[in-house]
Amino acid sequence: MKQIIEPVISQAEEKRVVQHIAGTKTMGPDISPNRNEGIFVEQLSAYFGKNRVLKDVTMHIPKHCVTALIGPSGCGKTTFLRTINRMHELSKDARVEGTVLVDGVNIYAPNIDPVQVRRRIGMVFQKPNPFPTMSIFENVVAGLRLNGRYSRRELMEIAERTLRQAALWDEVSDKLHRSGASLSGGQQQRLCIARALAVNPEVILMDEPASALDPISTAKIEELIFELRNQYTIVIVTHNMQQAARVSDYTAFFYLGELIEFDRTKQIFISPSKKQTEDYITGRFG
Amino acid sequence: MQRHFERQLERLKTNLIRMGSLVDDQIDLAMKALFDMNVELARLVIERDEKVNEYDNLIDKEIETIFATTQPVAVDLRLLMAALKMNSDLERIGDIAQNLAERAESLARLEGDGKARTQDLIQRTRIASMAEAARQMVRDAIDSFINGDPKLGRSICERDDIVDDYDRENFALLIRAMQDDPRTIEAGANLIVVSRHIERLADHATNIAEDVVFLIDAKIIKHHGIEMKEEP
Repeated sequence: MKQIIEPVISQAEEKRVVQHIAGTKTMGPDISPNRNEGIFVEQLSAYFGKNRVLKDVTMHIPKHCVTALIGPSGCGKTTFLRTINRMHELSKDARVEGTVLVDGVNIYAPNIDPVQVRRRIGMVFQKPNPFPTMSIFENVVAGLRLNGRYSRRELMEIAERTLRQAALWDEVSDKLHRSGASLSGGQQQRLCIARALAVNPEVILMDEPASALDPISTAKIEELIFELRNQYTIVIVTHNMQQAARVSDYTAFFYLGELIEFDRTKQIFISPSKKQTEDYITGRFG
Repeated sequence: MQRHFERQLERLKTNLIRMGSLVDDQIDLAMKALFDMNVELARLVIERDEKVNEYDNLIDKEIETIFATTQPVAVDLRLLMAALKMNSDLERIGDIAQNLAERAESLARLEGDGKARTQDLIQRTRIASMAEAARQMVRDAIDSFINGDPKLGRSICERDDIVDDYDRENFALLIRAMQDDPRTIEAGANLIVVSRHIERLADHATNIAEDVVFLIDAKIIKHHGIEMKEEP
């Protein structure tokens, strides 16, 4: 795949970061952290004005795995997700401190274009949001049209490939010209996933992608996440504990803006090490 | 306010404790029937086993409902897994009490010198001490569950070896007695079975204790925590 953003860390800076990280406890499963793989977050804080909504989060999200973020409303999990593709800063008075390396690239480095970051890191939202005036086909290739020159044939190939990846092709192949808004909620969400996949991202962020869907559509989205895990690093925010348990390899529990526990999903749901985590996942919180 | 789920778990625990006291009582009466050669008491134990079986079915249904409706995780999941196994162990303990009562009835109905020979053999073996040790293990297993006490649980597992030793000792003594005097064969054969039943009581108490350690410490200690080296 074409590398859109070149690593920008000088050797000296790299050495400094490594030394610094060596002295910080990175929370995460007992896998050897490689700063050039997956998402490496260090001492990340996020603010809305003076309100610090994310506090010194340090964690390593492994590459080509599904990581679920769980926690009560307002715990900072969605903010955390939005810092990974530099969407947080789009809100009024919002700012971020700390480091986020995606496959070794510091996405908050001054010479990095946030628009490029968002292209590498796709996002799927809670409510399906296909472009209402565009056809199904145009929805899928919208990102490509903005970013490059592709022939009609190339666009068609990419649309078919990503719609197949999103498990939607069989349902829409004979009506690609119809409006994206004509699809059901579950189909629209898979269309949005296809749109995110079309620009060939490395990371896909999902913010409660199935919470507005019925159980059958939810099962399809979960199956899709399971299928995509081998090719993409997926981070999913969910309020549905069983969904986190079913689809993710790793689970992070956030509370009041802090990362409380981060471990293999099996470990979190069988025997979490922190009482707060156990109280939350068993529904005894507060 | 206590949630519905917590009330369900409390009800389940209460029923397990009730079943535990019932089987503890059954062991006590079965032993009394054996040592006192009391047929009526033995009959009572045999009839009351149905009550133990009723608890078994009730608790299974409660656990099934909780699993189906709440998708428990972590400590709740371990509680339900432990409860399911504990229910099964308590039911087996109830069966053993019934089996012991059946042996007690047979021995109490022996004719001629049979009863006297039985009592003599009981005196010469370690059956009484063994019965006391095993019954204490069952009581402690139930207590360790009630109080969530893994330390007590671990101590029960250690005591299982003592009961196993008693069983081996009884077996050797009874074989020797039957060889020396063939008139003791009927009583002796029955008492070998009694000793084996008591040994099984201790095994079930150990199973419960292992489940309590699993519940509280999230550690598997049964079979010394052995794990399969390769995926089957």
